[in-house]
Amino acid sequence: MKVLAVEDNKEIASSIHDFLAREGYICELAYSFDEAQERLLLFSYDCILLDLMLPDGNGLELLKFIKTQKIQSGVLIISAKDALDEKISGLEGGADDYITKPFHLPELHARLRAIYRRKKLAGSNIISFNEITLNTDTLEATVNSAALDITRKEFDLLLYLVVNKNRVLSRQSIATHLWGDYTDNLANFDFVYQHIKNLRKKISAANGADYIDTVYGLGYKFNSSKV
Amino acid sequence: MKLVDKFTLWFIGVTLLLTPITTYFCYYNIEKRIDEAEIARLKEINEITANQLRDGISPVTSMHESPTTVTVLASALPKESVEIQKISTHDTNLKHQESRLVVNSFFSIKNTNYEISSYNYIPGSRQILDAILGTVIWKLLLIILCVGITARLVSQRILHTLRQTMKKIQGFNVKQKVQFPQTGTQEFKELNSFLQKMTDKAVDEYASVKEFSENASHELQTPLAVLRNKLELLSETNIEENQAALISDMQNAIEKLSKINRSLTLLAKLENNEYAVSENIKFCRVAKDVLAAYEDRIEMKNLSVKTDFAKNILLKIHPTLADMLMNNLVGNAIRHNVQDGSIELVLTQKKLVVKNTGLPPEMPVEELFQRFKKGNQCSESVGLGLSIVKQICEVSGFFISYHYSNQLHVLQIDFQSKSQEEVQTIALDNLAPAIY
Repeated sequence: MKVLAVEDNKEIASSIHDFLAREGYICELAYSFDEAQERLLLFSYDCILLDLMLPDGNGLELLKFIKTQKIQSGVLIISAKDALDEKISGLEGGADDYITKPFHLPELHARLRAIYRRKKLAGSNIISFNEITLNTDTLEATVNSAALDITRKEFDLLLYLVVNKNRVLSRQSIATHLWGDYTDNLANFDFVYQHIKNLRKKISAANGADYIDTVYGLGYKFNSSKV
Repeated sequence: MKLVDKFTLWFIGVTLLLTPITTYFCYYNIEKRIDEAEIARLKEINEITANQLRDGISPVTSMHESPTTVTVLASALPKESVEIQKISTHDTNLKHQESRLVVNSFFSIKNTNYEISSYNYIPGSRQILDAILGTVIWKLLLIILCVGITARLVSQRILHTLRQTMKKIQGFNVKQKVQFPQTGTQEFKELNSFLQKMTDKAVDEYASVKEFSENASHELQTPLAVLRNKLELLSETNIEENQAALISDMQNAIEKLSKINRSLTLLAKLENNEYAVSENIKFCRVAKDVLAAYEDRIEMKNLSVKTDFAKNILLKIHPTLADMLMNNLVGNAIRHNVQDGSIELVLTQKKLVVKNTGLPPEMPVEELFQRFKKGNQCSESVGLGLSIVKQICEVSGFFISYHYSNQLHVLQIDFQSKSQEEVQTIALDNLAPAIY
């Protein structure tokens, strides 16, 4: 996947770059409106990460430019403002999704993957890893072709883990992914633990390998090297 | 008391105070004038009589209506050539009390000393006083009546500007500058220009505060994002257990910071009334959706949930706020609950009641809605949840109350709050006052 990250903050841009590079993606950076415009005219990208506040222009203007130039990339808006109207105008302007700062990198990755699946893989809704297969349309999960009896939240969690395989996922990041920004996540770690526990139980009951590792006090990791 | 009533009362008071004084002056002057005129007339009569004597004509003693007597004096002429006497007669036959004015003039004619005396009856003091008092009372009554009526009519005209100004002020919103009406009255001109300056300043301050809170939020979110992302990258390097623990603590701190920042920004926005409501939403649907989102957590704590939602509940509240309100309430009811506890939700068109089991509160109930005040158990939470709930209620015109009874935490939100009606009537009372 080829990604253009339009972000004026160099530290954030480099974090995004490092994280996505580890996934084997090609991630190019643009720090300003003009730079982004130039790159968009010269190269084509699968996905564009777009910060709304740029030193020399508004990200929404860039979004308009992308649409008028009929650039087929998926667009994920990044903003520090979580004002509702801006969220709406971004999505109405043709963006595919919206994420607010401070975001978790695995969350950004998961959303990017979802956009990529919808846009580039012609709406492919099957994600599989070894014996595990997830259908994002029907929300069904199978292990060794046997349907797994899991709840919606457990499905979301498994999908999040598989997409971010071999990544350390902090409990905060999982809680935010499952329950959103506005719930008080700090007290939800017990619930994260419960969900992980149930998921492991269900996968092993279906004779799946125990891919989910606990990483010290940090969080969890989908370890693909376990067979 | 209305302004016009105050003015009227003061005016009448001053009039009442001055009336006795003016009445006295009036009486004194009238009596003096009458006396002077009569004395002058009687003197002239005496002069004429004296002239007749000089000419050798026998004086006609009652020629000028007033009887004149001529007496020959045996003694010498007194020093004063004219002597005036005023005698109050008390005639029982006549009801009027008149005064008798006597003027004695002394002449020496042809070596004979004469005393010529004339008298007349003039109105007595009581008569004059009675007439004046009668007039004064009627005058007072007329003044009070006219002042009472005209003050009201005139004040409507004069205070029209003031009423307009007050109307503008009551409809004032910090988001918009207002223009006050032009007026010719000096005081209102000053008031309007003062209010103009004040409201303009408020609007400017509001804009800058709003800008600041937006900027502060933005400026803080970016470094937080940097910290969080760098820690995420760090946690994927080869680290040892004790290092992981350090990273985890930092991640918790960042999480908390980010929550506080987000909540404070939200509170600021609520206080600035940035969530204007335009239409009714189906609150029952919001309640159901939120409850569904918490299903897994309810299950994990093994809570029994009893709901009683009436259908088609329309409320005037911003959809985002409705969502946040329910999220906070249900979230709290779960978080502050005990394992195997219970939650009861009752929603009617009038109110929403959330009852849940939990440990009794350890601090005064009134403090629960204050910022950063936390109940007992959950020291992990930020402590802004109920402040946000309260603020949302205030913005939407709801009334929230909390009490702990029968080992249940009960939070009740009245949608058509009584207090609001009271506030409205008070506001109306305040509107009418002063003016008119």
